[in-house]
Amino acid sequence: MAGPIRVLMSKPGIDGHWRGIVVVSRGLRDAGMEVIFGGFQTCEQIVETAIEEDVDMIGLSIHSGAHIGYTKRVVDLLKEKGLNGHFLLLVGGAIPSKDFEVLKEIGAANVYGPGSLIKDIVAFIKEHVKK
Amino acid sequence: MSQEEYYKKIEKKIKEWEEIYAKHKERPEKFETYSGIPVKPLYTPLDVKDKDYLKDIGFPGLPPFTRGVYPTMYRGRFWTIRLFSGHGTPEETNKRWKFLYDHGETGFSAAVDALTFNGIDPDDPRADLEVGTAGVPLYCIDSMFALTDGLPIDKISVALVVEPFSSAPICAMYFNMAQMKGYEIKSLMGTCQNDICTQTIGYVPYKNVAPPHLLRLACDLIEWCTAQKNVPKWHPINFTTYNYREGGIDAVQEIGFGFANAIAHIDNLIERGWTVDDFVNRLAFHLSASKDFFEEIAKYRAARRIWYKLMKDKYGAKDPRSFQFRFHIQTAGSSLTQQQPLVNVIRTAYQALEAVLGGCQSMHTNSYDEALCLPSEEAVLIALRTQQVIQDEIRVCNTIDPLAGSYYVEWLTDELEERIWNYLGKIESAGGVVKALESGWLYREMRDAFKKRQSRIESGEEKVIGVNRYVMEEEVFENVFRTNPEAAKIEIERIKKLKARRDNRKLEEILDKLRKVCEREENVLPVVMEATREGATVGEICDIYREIFKVWEPPIVV
Repeated sequence: MAGPIRVLMSKPGIDGHWRGIVVVSRGLRDAGMEVIFGGFQTCEQIVETAIEEDVDMIGLSIHSGAHIGYTKRVVDLLKEKGLNGHFLLLVGGAIPSKDFEVLKEIGAANVYGPGSLIKDIVAFIKEHVKK
Repeated sequence: MSQEEYYKKIEKKIKEWEEIYAKHKERPEKFETYSGIPVKPLYTPLDVKDKDYLKDIGFPGLPPFTRGVYPTMYRGRFWTIRLFSGHGTPEETNKRWKFLYDHGETGFSAAVDALTFNGIDPDDPRADLEVGTAGVPLYCIDSMFALTDGLPIDKISVALVVEPFSSAPICAMYFNMAQMKGYEIKSLMGTCQNDICTQTIGYVPYKNVAPPHLLRLACDLIEWCTAQKNVPKWHPINFTTYNYREGGIDAVQEIGFGFANAIAHIDNLIERGWTVDDFVNRLAFHLSASKDFFEEIAKYRAARRIWYKLMKDKYGAKDPRSFQFRFHIQTAGSSLTQQQPLVNVIRTAYQALEAVLGGCQSMHTNSYDEALCLPSEEAVLIALRTQQVIQDEIRVCNTIDPLAGSYYVEWLTDELEERIWNYLGKIESAGGVVKALESGWLYREMRDAFKKRQSRIESGEEKVIGVNRYVMEEEVFENVFRTNPEAAKIEIERIKKLKARRDNRKLEEILDKLRKVCEREENVLPVVMEATREGATVGEICDIYREIFKVWEPPIVV
């Protein structure tokens, strides 16, 4: 399918650290992607929006320390709908590198902690979303 | 030789020196401060020749306060060492506080979780995963008893890091707890942040109310504690410019945001019929100690002078205490990296030194693991020791404001002052802080700052060791501190017990009274004191705000 890569950027839960999601959303948009800015969403809303908007990628921004719980919840909902693996799932935030592997086992394609560069995120998405 | 002739002589010598300098090569770098002020290779008496020492610099404890707010500064008393901490449950946070107190901490500070920040109780399913993960949950009077158990809160000050949406009930719970323990709240020492900008642009609020209501709630606390003298030693507000600075705005914007914010509160209280001397001496600030060593020091010195001028010229304050710009410091969390985390110890130490050379009244130093997780005991102890090394070992506190008279620092102080006045004017032209929040102007300023900082890091213009300089293969950091996974269960249990114990009918009547007070836009504190004493939770009170004032969605721009 042609057209730009479509991404949904969301913050599951209620924690308000917002620099990460804004910087990445803006960066992806500047790289030519179409960004749907979900902001605060429940895990259910994230999955619904991803389906409705027919996105290629879901980006979760989590700074509350609850990254494992929220990622698992989103993946479980995707599994329930038979959509596990349908979207490229990226997780970013104040996440210790020790948890990167745990999140990947749950279903994240990649994880971005503090100090990540937008150019690396863009390159990863372009490599993994075939359009 | 007259002064004028002497300056001419210096000028001539500078020209000679500049010719010599021009024959040498400079490193390929843009020499400027982080806020973009071009920096010359050398500063001389000519750069400060228009300065009047008595008028512009003066003496510590005397106008214009450039050199410090107190006559003795650290020769009289050191700044308060106050480490921001909170995790899991109030009991666990109490344990951490005791650990820090036993090792020499001199003030407590409670970091609250996202639920407490947003006025949501732990039994709310929307936030079940975040109970105690990024701070301590404090939502009822029982939490306050657990938090302060066995600690001398009559002797040591406590900072409650809560914002206007939930600050009234949380402070009220604290005051009630103290009264029930037999303390006079008139002598209680402490502070709360209570900052509308932290609530709205420092973080993005989740289901809060609109800025004019937040401003009124913030001012209710100032009025009740300070102007009406119910808790006269309490600092009812700390304009926490740290939280907005962290997003990437610069030193000039930081102080501009902070003063515009203070102006909005002062004007509100004056509208209520108070004079500035009735309350201004208890307003405090919480600034960032960021990466540019001299610029940050100049910032503190400039801020003190601007505050003095604002209070004297704009508001006609008379009480000398109204002129004192007092501030807490937090070293810059945004300067820390997950990569090579021990390097964060060094960053934090330099930033702490800035704050001391700049004359802070109290300080939090970050732990080296804070880009990874909430701090472990081991990491927080190093953060504590960082301040103690400055106090006990390096003798920088022997004399007051030791950088005064430095051609560079004095010049930079003036330069910052001018730029801050200009930026403050810009915010005032955008309608002041409340309008600028509602219109999205402040959100755009923040967004632009986020973007600018990120692109500087991506391009390497802002050097960050471990991220774009001296990157190396590293082992995964193993010692990650984890908050209690049972916290939600424990807190839900606490809330169940509370609801079973309290007189729910009586409470309903009090909450109805709160509805009416909100509708009439009267000060909420008296009824919030009554409600929290009877066991009302923060969620229940904030739900009434939501019901009466309506939920506000911030105009975020990407």
